[in-house]
Amino acid sequence: MRARRLELSLLVLGTVITVIAYGLLNAGETADIRAEIAIFFAIILVLLIGAHVVIRYTAPNADGLLLPLAALLNGLGYVVIARLDDGLAASQSAWTFIGIGAFAVTLLVVRDLRWVANYRYTLAVFGVGLLMLPLIPGLGVNINGARIWLRVGPFSIQPGEFAKIVLAAFLAGYLVEKRELLAISNHRLGPLNIPDLRHFGPLLLAWGVALMVMILQRDLGSSLLFFTLFIVMIYVATARTAYVVTGLLLFTAGSFISWQLFSHVQTRVDIWFDPFADPKGAGFQIVEAWFALADGGITGTGLGSGLPNKIPFAPTDMIFAAIGEELGLLGATAVLAAFMFFVSSGFRVASSTTVVFEKLLAVGLTALLGFQAFIIIGGVLRVLPLTGVTLPYVSYGGSSLISNYIVLALLVRISDSTPPSRAAPAADARVTTVI
Amino acid sequence: MDRSFRHVIFVLLGCFTLLFVQLNRVQIFEAAALQDNGSNTRTIQREFDQLRGEIRTRDGVVVASSEPAGPDSPFQFQRLYPEGELYAHSVGYVSFTVGAEGVERTYNAEILGDTPSQQLSDLTSLLDEDARSGSITLTLDHDLQRVAQEALGERVGSVVAMDPRTGAVLALWSYPSFDPNLVAANNSTEANAARAELLEAPGNPLRARSYRDTAFPGSTFKVITAAAALETPDRGITATEPVFETTTEYLHPLTTRPITNFGGRPCGGNLTDLLVQSCNTSFALIAAEILGPAVMVNQAEAAGFNSVPPFDLPGGVASVFPAAETFGARVAAPTPEVPAGVFENSPLLAQAAIGQFDVQATPLQMALMIAGVANDGIIPTPHILAEVADANGRVVRRNEPDPWRMSMREDNARSLQQALITAAQEGGGNTAAVPGLVVGVKTGTAQHGTDPPLSNAWIVGFAGLPDEDIELAVAVLVEDLPDPGDQTGGRIAGPIARQLFEEYFSGRI
Repeated sequence: MRARRLELSLLVLGTVITVIAYGLLNAGETADIRAEIAIFFAIILVLLIGAHVVIRYTAPNADGLLLPLAALLNGLGYVVIARLDDGLAASQSAWTFIGIGAFAVTLLVVRDLRWVANYRYTLAVFGVGLLMLPLIPGLGVNINGARIWLRVGPFSIQPGEFAKIVLAAFLAGYLVEKRELLAISNHRLGPLNIPDLRHFGPLLLAWGVALMVMILQRDLGSSLLFFTLFIVMIYVATARTAYVVTGLLLFTAGSFISWQLFSHVQTRVDIWFDPFADPKGAGFQIVEAWFALADGGITGTGLGSGLPNKIPFAPTDMIFAAIGEELGLLGATAVLAAFMFFVSSGFRVASSTTVVFEKLLAVGLTALLGFQAFIIIGGVLRVLPLTGVTLPYVSYGGSSLISNYIVLALLVRISDSTPPSRAAPAADARVTTVI
Repeated sequence: MDRSFRHVIFVLLGCFTLLFVQLNRVQIFEAAALQDNGSNTRTIQREFDQLRGEIRTRDGVVVASSEPAGPDSPFQFQRLYPEGELYAHSVGYVSFTVGAEGVERTYNAEILGDTPSQQLSDLTSLLDEDARSGSITLTLDHDLQRVAQEALGERVGSVVAMDPRTGAVLALWSYPSFDPNLVAANNSTEANAARAELLEAPGNPLRARSYRDTAFPGSTFKVITAAAALETPDRGITATEPVFETTTEYLHPLTTRPITNFGGRPCGGNLTDLLVQSCNTSFALIAAEILGPAVMVNQAEAAGFNSVPPFDLPGGVASVFPAAETFGARVAAPTPEVPAGVFENSPLLAQAAIGQFDVQATPLQMALMIAGVANDGIIPTPHILAEVADANGRVVRRNEPDPWRMSMREDNARSLQQALITAAQEGGGNTAAVPGLVVGVKTGTAQHGTDPPLSNAWIVGFAGLPDEDIELAVAVLVEDLPDPGDQTGGRIAGPIARQLFEEYFSGRI
C-alpha cells in the first residue's frame, strides 16, 4: 500500500500545481484571482481522488506514479487550453471527466488481461475496422486535410485514437504466440534471413492494411506512430535486430515513395528543412511556434502574459509551443521530464510482469504514448517534420484524452496483476497447498 | 526479451534528450535572432495590446485616445483620433498595418508609459505591465490649429505658428490632410485600402507638407539677405544707409538676363525701404556685388538652411541654399565698387538672394527663420511635446526651451524687426496688420511653372503686444495658385497670418 500513499500525495501535489497555475493564469490575465478557484480545486481533487479510490479497490498493488503523472499533464494542459480559449476549456473539462470515467470503468471491467490475447484476430479486424470508419462516405469528415474524423451528432470522434490501443493489443497477442517462430529464420533472401511467411504473413497484412489506411487518410503522424509501434513490439518480442534494420529500410523506401507521390508530404519536408522560406505561408505554423518559444526564453512570459494565440493550432498540435512561451524552458522541460517519468514507469510495469502478453502490451502502450509525445514535440521543435498528432493528456481533444486514459487504466491494471513483491509469496502459498 | 526491451527504453530516452537539446537551442541560443526576425510581429503585437495613453493639446483637447476594441479585433484596443484630419500631420497615427507617424511615432515609448521616468513615478506600472500607460501634452493650441485650418481653407499649403521665445509649435497644418482613423483601423484590410486610396489621392494628403516639403521661398528670403548685409558691417550697409539707387532692373555684367521688380516697378532706398518695397533689383545687387557667395551661404546656414531642424516629429527635411562652390571661381578681385568680387556664377547668386534659383525652404524653416528675428537673433529648437505624464496623469517631464542656433546679433535682429513692422504697415504685407498689435511681416510670391504659370504665396511674420516680447511667429505658404500676375503673398497669405494673430491675441487686444 506504499504505492497508494505515494499516489495520493502525488495527486494532491499535482492538483496543487494545477490550481496554482490556474490562479496565476487568472492573475496574469486580469490581475485578480477569481473566487471559483476553490471550486476548481475541489472538482479536480474529487475527480482524482475518485480515480485513486477505484485503483485502491480494483488494483491495490498498482504502480503509484502513472496516475499522478497523467493528472499533472492533464491539469497543466487544461490550464494552457483555458488560457487559449474558454470554450475549448469547457469542453476539455467535460472530456477530462469522461476520460477519468473511462479510466475507472476500464479498471472495474477489465480485471484480467490475459484472455485478451485469445481474441487477437478479432482485435486485428476490429482495429483496422475502426481505422477505416472515417473513409465511409457520409460518416467520415475531412478536417484540416485529414480524413480521420467521425461526425456523431454534435461530436467529432477520432476512431484512430482507439484503434491504436486495439492494434497494440493485437500485436501483443499475436507476438506472444508467434515470437519464437518469428525469431527463427528458415529462409534466406540474399543477405537477409526471413522468417516463415506463414507466421509473418498475418502480421504483415494487418500492419500493411493499417498503414495504407492512415496514408489514404493523410494522417502522417499516426502512420509514423503505428510504424514505430510495430518495429518496437516485434523487436522486443524477437530480439532480432534484422527486423529493425528491415523496418528502417522499408521506412526509408516508404518515405521516399510518399515524398515522390504526395505533394502534401513534399510540403511537410520542405517546411521541415526551411520553415523561414515561406514564413507567412507554408512555414507559418512552425515559424510562429518558434517565435513563441523564443519569447518564452528560460522562465517564460508567465501564464496569461504571452501571445500564444498567435500560434496556429495552439490548443492541439502546438500546445507544447504555448507551454514553452508562457512557462519557458523550465516549464517545457518539466513537461518533457513528466513524459520521461511516465515512459520509465510504463517500462517498469512491463519489466515487472512475468506474463509475456502483458509485458508486450505494456511495452506497446508505453511506446505509443512516448513516441506520440516525441513525434509531436519533435515536430514543433523541427527534430522531425511536423505531423499532426496530439500531445498525450496535454492537448485539447476528447478522443485523444479518453483513449489515453484507457491506456493509463491498462498500464495500471498490468502493474497490479503481478507485482514483484506479491508474486513470490503467492507462488509459495500455491506450492504449500499442493503439498 | 529484456535486452531488446532495454534498447527500446534507451532509444526513447535518447529521443527525449534530443528534444531537450533542441528546446535549449530554440529558447536560449537562437531566441534573440528569432525575436529580431523580420517576420516576427510579436513585439509590435505586444505594443498594440498595451494601453496607449491620451495625447492632448496644450488647451486640453484630446486628439488621440484608445478604447477597448470590438470582439473581432486582433488587438485589445482601437486607437481613435477624435479631431480627424486636423492633427493628421502632427499627431499622426499608429497602425499595425500601415506603421506609425508623427507624435505617435516619436513619442511611442512615452505614450505607452515605457520610459524609466514614468515607471519610477508610478511603481505599480514597473511591476505590472498591464497597468503601464502614459500620456502626453502637446504644445499645439487647438483654437489656433482650427483657425489655421479654416483660414487656409481648401487651398494646398501649410501654416506653421510657434512661440519664438521657446520654439513651442502652436499650430502645424497643411492641406490636403486625411482622417488618421482610416489608416489606424485595427482591421488590416480596411487600413490597407484606406492607405492605398490616400496614396492615389490628388495632392498627396498623407504628406506633411509643413515640414517635409520644400518650395522656393521667394521674397521671404530677402530677410536673410538683409540679415547677411547687417551681419557683415565691413560692407557698410545699415538699416538706414546707404540709399540704393531706384531702378527697374538689375543686370549683372556676366549675364544678359536682367532681374526686374514685380510688375516692372522701380524701387530703391535704404535697407528698410528695400524690405518694405520687396525690391528685387537692390537685393540682387547687394548679394552679387557687395556680399558675395560666402557671406550669403553663411547667413542662410545661420538661419537654419542646409540642416534638418531638430524638430521632434519624424522625417523632417533640410531647406536648401546652394553651396558656395555653386557660384563658381572668382573671376575678379574685390574692388571698392564690387566689394564681394565677381564669381563665374554671380548672376545666380543674385537670384538666390531673392529666394529663386536653387533655394528651397520648408514652411517650418521659414517659421524658424522669422522666429530667430523675433527672438532677437536666437532661433529656438522647435518642438511639439510639452509634457509627459505617467499612468496616473502625474507630469514626469516638461520640455525645456533650448536655443537651436544664433542667426544674427541682437541689434541687427531689432533693426530687422523694425523694418518688417514698417513693411506690415506700408508694404504689401499690410493685409496681416492687426490694430493694437505690433506686427512685422515679409511677403513673398514665387512663380513657378510656365504652362500654366503658377505661383506660391508666402508670408512670414511675427506679432506681439506693444512694449512686450514678441509672442508669435508664423509662416504661411499657399501653393500652386493660378498666377494672376500680382503679389499674391500679401493678398492671399497675408489674411491667413492676420487671422492667426487675431486668434492668438484674442481677449488681450
